[in-house]
Amino acid sequence: MTESHAHSPVTEEFIAEWRNASYSCFSSGHKFCREVCPVMQVTRNESWTPTAFHANVVAMEQGELTVEEVAEDYVNCTQCGACELRCPNTLFTGDFYRFRTRTVDLVKQMRTLAVDNGVHQPGYRRWNMLTDERTHEPVLGEVPVSQEHVRDWSAGLDLPIGGETILFVDCEAAFYRTSVPRAVAQILQRAGYEFGLMREQWCCGGPAAEMGYRDQARRFAEHNLADWRASGVRRVLVLDPHDYITFTEDYPNFFGDDYDIEIVLVIELLAGLIEDGTLRPEIPVERTITYHDPCRLNKRKGIWQEPRQILRSIPGLTFHDVDHVTQWSYCSGGGGGLPVEKPELTAKISASRLDQAAKLDVDTLVSACPWSERPLSEAGDARSVDVVDIHELLAESLGIEVGGSRGGGGGV
Amino acid sequence: MTLAPELSDRVLGELVDALGGEYVLTSKVARMNRARVPAPFPVHRWRERIPDLVVMPGSTAEVAEVLRVAHAHRIPIVPRDGGTGLTDGAVPERRGIVVDVKRMNDIREIDPVNRTCTVGVGINMLKLNEELAPYGLIYPDDPASYPCSLVGGRTGTSGWSLIGSRYGHSRDLVLSFEFVLPTGRVIRVGDGGGAKVSKSSSGYQLKHLFMGHQGTLGIATEATLKLYPKPEAELSPFWAFPDYEAAYRCVQQLAHAGIATFAGAVLFDEWKVAYLRRDDEAYIPQPADVRALVCAVAYGHEDEVRAGGRRLMRIARDAGARYLGDEISQGDWAARHDRYATPLHGRTKSGQVAPMSWHCEDAAINYTELPQVRLEWHGIVERLRERFDVFDDWGMFCYTSADTGVDYLTEIDVGIWEQNLDDDAWAAWVDAKRDIAEVALRYGGSISACHGSCREGEVDLVPMELGGGYDVMLAVKRAIDPHNIMNPGKYGLDRAYTSGGDV
Repeated sequence: MTESHAHSPVTEEFIAEWRNASYSCFSSGHKFCREVCPVMQVTRNESWTPTAFHANVVAMEQGELTVEEVAEDYVNCTQCGACELRCPNTLFTGDFYRFRTRTVDLVKQMRTLAVDNGVHQPGYRRWNMLTDERTHEPVLGEVPVSQEHVRDWSAGLDLPIGGETILFVDCEAAFYRTSVPRAVAQILQRAGYEFGLMREQWCCGGPAAEMGYRDQARRFAEHNLADWRASGVRRVLVLDPHDYITFTEDYPNFFGDDYDIEIVLVIELLAGLIEDGTLRPEIPVERTITYHDPCRLNKRKGIWQEPRQILRSIPGLTFHDVDHVTQWSYCSGGGGGLPVEKPELTAKISASRLDQAAKLDVDTLVSACPWSERPLSEAGDARSVDVVDIHELLAESLGIEVGGSRGGGGGV
Repeated sequence: MTLAPELSDRVLGELVDALGGEYVLTSKVARMNRARVPAPFPVHRWRERIPDLVVMPGSTAEVAEVLRVAHAHRIPIVPRDGGTGLTDGAVPERRGIVVDVKRMNDIREIDPVNRTCTVGVGINMLKLNEELAPYGLIYPDDPASYPCSLVGGRTGTSGWSLIGSRYGHSRDLVLSFEFVLPTGRVIRVGDGGGAKVSKSSSGYQLKHLFMGHQGTLGIATEATLKLYPKPEAELSPFWAFPDYEAAYRCVQQLAHAGIATFAGAVLFDEWKVAYLRRDDEAYIPQPADVRALVCAVAYGHEDEVRAGGRRLMRIARDAGARYLGDEISQGDWAARHDRYATPLHGRTKSGQVAPMSWHCEDAAINYTELPQVRLEWHGIVERLRERFDVFDDWGMFCYTSADTGVDYLTEIDVGIWEQNLDDDAWAAWVDAKRDIAEVALRYGGSISACHGSCREGEVDLVPMELGGGYDVMLAVKRAIDPHNIMNPGKYGLDRAYTSGGDV
């Protein structure tokens, strides 16, 4: 017999909330999630699977495990959502119970529970401390990011500040891959679409929420929402899938019915502007490409058609597509804070993704997620596959000189 | 009896030297998550099965080193592959070291000319088939756990395939494998000596002995597999019947038809149809006068499947079947085939919906005995249900095992509400399992067609099933594993080291 553990009240509350969902996974014993899980694919470690993440809660309820013992395992997740889609509990009992497997939520909440119990992962703690200090994520490593530079990417584009519609640019795109927001802004200008930039943009708070620093996430959300309200923003354009999740899932959870901001994904907006003839990509782009479905669009939000519509509208491309269901088991490894704690796993997952692309004899892998593009580019360099953002590619076909940086300096 | 010794620092040091510290897992989380399989077990007794240590070797040589260390120190070893088995072969009964082989999942050779491939046993069949697709080949080992079970587990349990009536089961499809004996010695086991030979009369036929042993004889590490051309066409007609008897007659006529592309037929009894109608969202509702179903499946080239399919349709029609149409046939086969065939919830006696674990009996029964076995099994579950409100009867499937209709994998699915499973209900369940096994033997069958028969309850009857063959098992166990380190406690093989075992 092992002695039983006494949990803190917040842990007891967590267990009560998750016990039935965890039992549903535990007792079914199926593991269809396993081979689609990007972390499992490169580590083969059963402790880091959606099944284990649920089973641990059952063990905690039995008094066998503590949050201190399990917390570290939960860094091994990109929150891509593949496991939820592949779960027989989602497939078979979804309609009946109005139940679906929510591993991503479980991982986020377990990380939060750890922080609430004073259990910190060193990388997460440092990342969020620096984000808190600078109001932006430390995406440039030792080079600090700061409030006065958050709009540097837009140099020379003459974008207004404020207005009913603003473009929100996530930290990675604003400081690291500045070519992406430059492409987006110039395409929207070309289409005659009116928009401005945010008055005082802070990090969206999503990464803090993903790593379990919920209070910090909420503070950042409150700042951004207050800033939008104060400057009359009604609509936020989002070019980054991670922000899209934050604004459409975290913010409504924080603010409930008071949250009345319209969130528009730029990919969907552009697909519409191409369809109605406002945008006409006419300059051939002679590349042989395949498309990487970003997890947060494809698996989390079911958005996979619009990016393909955009790519099919660009002349000159030879497009070797891989269907979006096959891509449930693909990931860049760049999400969910994985590269903060386990950069070596992110690199392995990206390498594996690029191996899939290289088999198709393409010269270019197109993504639609700035957070995926850094690790994918690093893996692409080793295989002579260029990693390009879909907005960059569309801009090229529209004859736009994008400028900016595809990584590294952050300067224009 | 071998007792699990406390693992000394010395043992730990030897294992870390052999594998690297990253792959010797000591945390309780890692150990608890390798103490479980889908076979039902009371949650409150989880702690009884936690191993002392988990290792994740990356090669045959590393597995051999682990076994040498364990053999020298008399430490129990439990091999773990997918951990998806419906019997508890991968569950540690005496603590010890779990050897998790999932890292050995590489493809070492694809030989399209001889149509074989050689893989590490940690590979999953679906993943393997993704890699074989460009060659136009498949590895057709196709259990319900196809998306998650691994080649090594299929070898260790001698698995059964849904389409085995056409392509054979694991034992037919695994040509040979590298096998680490309990002493750490590595041998190649197959049909004769050649790794890619499918039929040999040279020496004893050891391949069957080292498949399906539930980890009691050693650990397979690399396997050479038989490949087939990827079929062009799939046909999966579903037919409805007003009663079980008509469906029962029809299924055997389909199996008897001698159609080369015939890959299997399945009979759903009244309990199964009622359960699906009640609780399965994937089931497309049928009129109330539908009480039994049959489906058949055929794979092959388009022209062959088309011709064979016409014959199957004619046979079924003449047997009084009503064809359910292409849409239901394709959709339902996709549901039964690509996912586990169960909704994962059931009902208490009062009709309350409860999350339930799926337990599946899997006896091998001859066709002539199916109706009687069916009634007795339902009776056992009904009596269990009367006493404890944590069990639900989810009905029966019977699947052809061969292309002649000789025997059927006979499956009764029982839902168990594990959250509420206490010691009394568990004891009653173990008794019921023994009764279920007794029925299978009384009608001339085998306790298990595919999962293995080493779970509590049924395992008591294995000596009765095998007779003198069980004594040979004891002698073999003692000869191959002199210190009883391999999965001790399984199949009652401890008695090989006390009394018995003399042939």
